[in-house]
Amino acid sequence: MSYAGYGRPALKSSVDVQLQTAFSDGNWNSVIRLADKRAKSLKDPYYEAIKICAESQLDGVAEKCAVLVAIDELAKQKTVPDIDTLELYEWAAGDFLDEDIDYADTLGPLRVKWAKANPKNTLAVECLQACLDHWDLVSAQQIATALDKAYLGSGDRRYMFWSISLTYLLSVSPQCSDTSRKVYSLLVLKQLERAAAITEDSPKVESTDRGLLNDEEIMLYYRVLLAHGTKEDFLKRIQSPRLGALSQLKEGHKALFWESLGTLESWAEWDLIYDLCLKAFRLGLNGTTPTFFVCDWRVWKSFVAAASKAADPDSALREVQSILKEFLAIDTKGAESIKKNLMLALLEITFRLPITTSGSDVGKKGLTPRVIQIGLFLDQYFERLSAFDDLKDHVADLTFEEAKVFMEDVVPKILDGKPDKPKQVILTSLKCKLQYLLTTCPQTLSHHPSVVDGQKQDKPYRCRFCSHLTSLPCEYCLKQIILEAATTHKQISADKELINAIPRLDKDPRLDLSLVIGTSLLKLSALPPNASGVTPPAMRDTNPGLLLQGIVVLEAQLRETPSDSGIRLLLVQLHLLIGCASYAHQLWVPMDVKRTIQDALSPLFFDRISSISPGLFQGSHPLMEPLRSYYSNSLRDNCPLRIWDAFSAGSYAGILRMSEYDDTLRRSCTLMMTLVEERRATRAFGGKIDTDIEAHQLTASITDGTKFLNKTDYGSFSNLESFHGPPIQDFIRVGPELSDERARLSYVSEQFFDILAFKPPKDYKPAKTNEAAIRDRNYILECLAHQSNSLTNVLHQPKTASLLTSSELSYFTTLSLLSAALLTSISTTRADPAPKSLSLLTASIRSSLTSLRTTYLTTSPLQTSATYFSLSNMHMLAHTRDTAVAVKHAAAFVLALHERELARDRSGKSALHKDVVAEMKALESVASKTLAETKSHVQKLKESLGESGWLDNMLGWVFGEGDETEGEPFRRAVSDILGGTYGAEEWAGKVLESWREGVKGWGMVRWE
Amino acid sequence: MANFRRFRPDDLNKLSKCNLDPLTETYELGFYLQYYAKWPSLFQVAEDQHGNIIGYIMGKLESSPDVYQFSEHYLPWHAHITAVTVAPEARRLGIGKLLTEQLEVAADANNTWFVDLFVRTTNFKAIAFYKSMGYSIFRVVKDYYGDHSSDPTRSSEDAYDMRKPMKRDVKKEHIREDGEKFEVDPSDVW
Repeated sequence: MSYAGYGRPALKSSVDVQLQTAFSDGNWNSVIRLADKRAKSLKDPYYEAIKICAESQLDGVAEKCAVLVAIDELAKQKTVPDIDTLELYEWAAGDFLDEDIDYADTLGPLRVKWAKANPKNTLAVECLQACLDHWDLVSAQQIATALDKAYLGSGDRRYMFWSISLTYLLSVSPQCSDTSRKVYSLLVLKQLERAAAITEDSPKVESTDRGLLNDEEIMLYYRVLLAHGTKEDFLKRIQSPRLGALSQLKEGHKALFWESLGTLESWAEWDLIYDLCLKAFRLGLNGTTPTFFVCDWRVWKSFVAAASKAADPDSALREVQSILKEFLAIDTKGAESIKKNLMLALLEITFRLPITTSGSDVGKKGLTPRVIQIGLFLDQYFERLSAFDDLKDHVADLTFEEAKVFMEDVVPKILDGKPDKPKQVILTSLKCKLQYLLTTCPQTLSHHPSVVDGQKQDKPYRCRFCSHLTSLPCEYCLKQIILEAATTHKQISADKELINAIPRLDKDPRLDLSLVIGTSLLKLSALPPNASGVTPPAMRDTNPGLLLQGIVVLEAQLRETPSDSGIRLLLVQLHLLIGCASYAHQLWVPMDVKRTIQDALSPLFFDRISSISPGLFQGSHPLMEPLRSYYSNSLRDNCPLRIWDAFSAGSYAGILRMSEYDDTLRRSCTLMMTLVEERRATRAFGGKIDTDIEAHQLTASITDGTKFLNKTDYGSFSNLESFHGPPIQDFIRVGPELSDERARLSYVSEQFFDILAFKPPKDYKPAKTNEAAIRDRNYILECLAHQSNSLTNVLHQPKTASLLTSSELSYFTTLSLLSAALLTSISTTRADPAPKSLSLLTASIRSSLTSLRTTYLTTSPLQTSATYFSLSNMHMLAHTRDTAVAVKHAAAFVLALHERELARDRSGKSALHKDVVAEMKALESVASKTLAETKSHVQKLKESLGESGWLDNMLGWVFGEGDETEGEPFRRAVSDILGGTYGAEEWAGKVLESWREGVKGWGMVRWE
Repeated sequence: MANFRRFRPDDLNKLSKCNLDPLTETYELGFYLQYYAKWPSLFQVAEDQHGNIIGYIMGKLESSPDVYQFSEHYLPWHAHITAVTVAPEARRLGIGKLLTEQLEVAADANNTWFVDLFVRTTNFKAIAFYKSMGYSIFRVVKDYYGDHSSDPTRSSEDAYDMRKPMKRDVKKEHIREDGEKFEVDPSDVW
């Protein structure tokens, strides 16, 4: 099929020039006139189609819709449609497709009809492509099957694999009915089994055979086998001589081997894993494959794990060790990462063996082979940036005795062996990181009795390193670590030789030292990891001075190394935590998070942003525009982006993965966050929301059963925490991360607001007003019932509370109660008995609102510290406001409906029950009071921030004035590296400015 | 710790270690998926133990359109390196080299004459890296880049078109000794 300009289909060449010209010029009135004339004179229905097509380009609704009627009529006919007519209709109906008419019910089957009748026509492939473009898998599968049959014996294997791929996609798609699913699953498996048998049984598979020939076809087979076959079949095939994992390795394809390891691990098939890995490594050693072909860390890890689970683990691990040594003896030709993998595998083996002490130094209890091996690795790789990440899990796994020997004997010995100053400071900074890591490991603490000599003890542990009583982590050790790191930092800055050497190093060691100091200060400030209900009290329980000092240290380092995204990300989150959203935005922008990486990275700044600083949405550029455009562009069509490329190129495994990726992107938590944050901000400023969330193009595939996926990428965070506890982001994020539950609650809440905001168009004048009113009321009841159920279901799930901040929990709970209250209110007319449940619901709503209000508003912002806590918790203020607004709007909605019913039905029978009216008025009054108080709180915050002395106060906090830690050596050491108050003044100014900007934004929020 | 394997679309959620580096460009989703769909064996990644992508290489297979067959600038069937990047923390471990070697294996498997790439003439580190891997300068593309990496007063920068012959080019017909002397315009580069 050819296309003329503007994506218009080209008319048949038999069409006269006059009509062709009018069509290509878009001169629609002429096209209509000429086509009508030709249709009458030539009696050719094609001209009628041209006329309908031209009419669809006019402004009138009837003309535009004529094409839909024509398509419908065409679909009813039993004859094979004319392909050019189809093409014209598909173009003309473009705006209606998938919204007003379902492609799979109309044009898809017409395309199938044509393709089945003309399978060898080249246009049949275009019919397939058209169906794929609209992700009509049912039609596409039928066309592909017709093509496969038509070309059977032609040697063109493409159609066979298109048919198989589409049958598989259909078998796992919601487009397939449950009964058909079984048939398609069986069909696709049988087709591939047949192809696999041809490959296994033939001495040589020709490119014209219907066997499995290349890696993409083989991977497709295994994917289908995993989905629809049995475990036994998979196990048999993976070891088979032609299609097995090892055979594929010999052909130079390692994807099957790689992926099968994961599957076998999930089935605990350790003996088979061991056998496959052993043979795969032998293939490299004997030269059948490139030597280091499978020397990936993942393969070694599986191999070692399988060896440790063997019947005789000692001898299996010894065998692994011996293979490793064979590889280590071979020159990696500059591929350091391969050599490092080998060294790490050696280390991994040591950790799988029982802990024994080294025979060479029996005097030291902790000097085990594990410690020695870590030491050997450290000695070789300490200069590499990845050294800490490579070792951290192993170090965190050491017993206390081992850790003690490692830190007190092994590391100092390695340090002594490095006379080179730059190497010494690199190692010292790594040592500080390891010391910090150990403070996050519970084995470094012992339990201390909660009562000693009748006295209740505050500290539940005794640190086994320093013997001080402590909680987790050990405060004394953290202070010592800060001291050592700050001393080393100062030493580097004062040493010209070291400063000159820094450009030659992988990284400025001061970056790591600052990270250790900053993170230690955050921990000393008692910042807890995020969990439900802790947000407001947590900030109040933290020591602001230590928290702010931690931020200042990291900030100072970022000035020196602005391209370090690890520290920058920490600072973005920390500034959001203390309510400096505009400054966090300034830190965020240089990272240039754009296009494809937005889905994974944007939550690091944008999640909850409307609740922290709605003012950011008032800037000259729409804040969420890049994110919105990204999703609109990537998900514009129903079909996965670039899927036809994969079909054309024969990337069959790719087709499945691209389809899966598209599916995950459509139900991304970040996508929902994008929509919800923008809507909340728009509502905060009294703006108009254009589209109901349910009708939004980006939520088209969201159903009640959709599970939202959080794909936030924390990979770049500088994380010094051990696996024993939460990662650093859990300490510094404003509340729990994105989740399916929060996305669902947010989505339904927005639906609730859409119902409250609904107003019929002004020109909508139904002829039968009574019937229309009843219909509207029923529709509202139906929506409310659905929303109430959805909210309640999610809120009642046991883990939901832990996935929300306390204010979010109150907000969503109130909305759930409100939807139930509205449901009762609207369904209770004056004639009905008084609704008993309503007063319970409204009492709960009032109590929820009061609880939010009192938690946030009880502190007076006129005290500096209280202002700081308020500014650090605008998230709660936002939810107090949003909850109050929801209550107010809901009550107003019910009262307005009551008024409308009174006006419509003079008998008063349709009006709402008087108790309902009274309850709603009471709710409205409570909500108004809350809004007034919240507004006044913001005003007080503004006044407080306008007072003088703020900078001094902040600097006082940062440097511990009046603090219990004031004068402690670690505070002095930190102050020294910051250059005293002078070094923090600029930052303090930015923070203050950011708070003022934030509060100014809040000043523009509507409080009604 | 590193693994080397083919790219998968869900790797796009793990690109931060590479793509937050200011020297690495982030493309539209369709761009990555096009490479994955059409040339999956030329899109390779290195990942760390947590699945974070710490390096990747994207390449394609192509030749100039037939219409240019008699042009002196005609490019026969070859592989082209579109992008290669290694996360800062994973540098100096030979990851770029391993990724490039894997692309070359795929180029040979697809019977190409050579692998080529463009690099800024001032990117001495990259030029030295490619030379160490057997690439040589084939020609200089004048003003290929619309900006200059080190001199903000200049509005363009030349590129070296570097090549490495593959197994098919037994006689080494597609490389030249003194490529620095051959200058072409961006319009000559297909």
